[in-house]
Amino acid sequence: MLGLDYSWLADPAYQRWLLIGVVNTLKLAALSSSAAIVIGMLGALGFTFRIFWLDALIELFVEVFRNTPPLLQMLFAYFTLSTLGLKVTDPSTGLSVPLLSAFACAAISLSLFGGALAIEAFRSGIETMPRSIVDAARSLGYGRWARFWRIEAPIATRICLPALTNILTNLFKTTSQASVITVPELMYYAGQIYNDTFRTLEVMILVLLIYVALVSMLTFAMARLEAFMAFPGYGRGL
Amino acid sequence: MSRIEALIELDNVRKSFGDFEVLKGISMFVQKGEAVCIIGPSGSGKSTILRCINGLFPIDEGFIRVGEHRVHELKSDKAMRALRHQVAMVFQQYNLFPHRTALQNIMMAPIQVLGHDRAEVEERARKLLKKVRLSEKADSYPGQLSGGQQQRVAIARALAMQPEVILFDEVTAALDPETVKDVLFAIRELVEEGLTCILVTHEMKFAREVSQRVCFTDHGLIVESAPPAELFDNPQDPRTREFLGQVL
Repeated sequence: MLGLDYSWLADPAYQRWLLIGVVNTLKLAALSSSAAIVIGMLGALGFTFRIFWLDALIELFVEVFRNTPPLLQMLFAYFTLSTLGLKVTDPSTGLSVPLLSAFACAAISLSLFGGALAIEAFRSGIETMPRSIVDAARSLGYGRWARFWRIEAPIATRICLPALTNILTNLFKTTSQASVITVPELMYYAGQIYNDTFRTLEVMILVLLIYVALVSMLTFAMARLEAFMAFPGYGRGL
Repeated sequence: MSRIEALIELDNVRKSFGDFEVLKGISMFVQKGEAVCIIGPSGSGKSTILRCINGLFPIDEGFIRVGEHRVHELKSDKAMRALRHQVAMVFQQYNLFPHRTALQNIMMAPIQVLGHDRAEVEERARKLLKKVRLSEKADSYPGQLSGGQQQRVAIARALAMQPEVILFDEVTAALDPETVKDVLFAIRELVEEGLTCILVTHEMKFAREVSQRVCFTDHGLIVESAPPAELFDNPQDPRTREFLGQVL
């Protein structure tokens, strides 16, 4: 069929590589997505205090990590964090190794990148909320913290879920760039396999299908979450 | 009327938004159990007075006391918690929390802010829903209720805080004419039960029937304050006469 040759897929070594690649991709995506959501919430919470220097600090963070290529951020993290001093001696081998592995550097840099985007998403959710609802909460005696967690965050999360879905799917796909700094995820092993077999097109088609499957699971889960969190009068709630 | 007996006392309250002075020295007293209506043209500062009384707006100058709370001295929402327990507010746009049901809207603050027992609060909330004749809507979300129904839930939510004073801020202004009477009925009951109420309203007929005193505001000042029969039938100030001539 179209001259595609998938006989290499029968090789257990390549099967193992693909499996490890998928697992590492999932790990990297899960870690950086969770961290990005936490960073996003904290950043948005920070904005609600309306303290000048805190606003400026969060703003700077967002601008730096949103306006530069994630690949560059990852290379930066890799060459600074892993080479500048931070070394430990591996007790089993006695060799001096970087404290932060390539995987850790990729996870950190993707978390910050996703976090910067998530801050903006959550902020838009909070700022879209009618000011009068905040007044109502104040008039009922809610202080700033309780107001944020009980009223602003739940409503804002619902409002910004579609934007958050976009950010998380993009973040998931961006994990493939970690292959450049030698993180053994799916894209990295794809390269290894086609360098071995010269079956570039076949490998790319397979990897593409795997990404479609994985990211579709994510968007499906987010759609379910949206339906679960819907309330009447907002979005698709009835 | 003496200042000491008054439950609420405002003295020469001034408030500006930017260059615009909304309140130019408001002084008023409200006795316990009294229902006072504030009427006046748009932009005359009526709603701002209410928001200053419960501390939603900080004032620039003057003195506000509610019970034992000196409102102008309270600086944070935390410091105002006891005040907000005593003074509840109902808004023109209802401002129910859209992500919670009617019953949950009523129960939230007593449990989360006042720390009252959940079971006891639920019983209280169901009684209040019955009182505003919405028992069957307990599990509906605000988005599923009509404006009049939402406003009655908002009144029940305010009452659930067991306040001594309720501030009503043009609560019927956003409603269809046929639902206005349900809301006014609910408010009238509260006044008759002796709850202290301050109402900013455009419903002159209601103001006349329900209140013991009516204050007319214009350009940030209380121009005239009198029992409704007196103020409506024999207004003293020309500005009051002009306003009433337009709305009656």
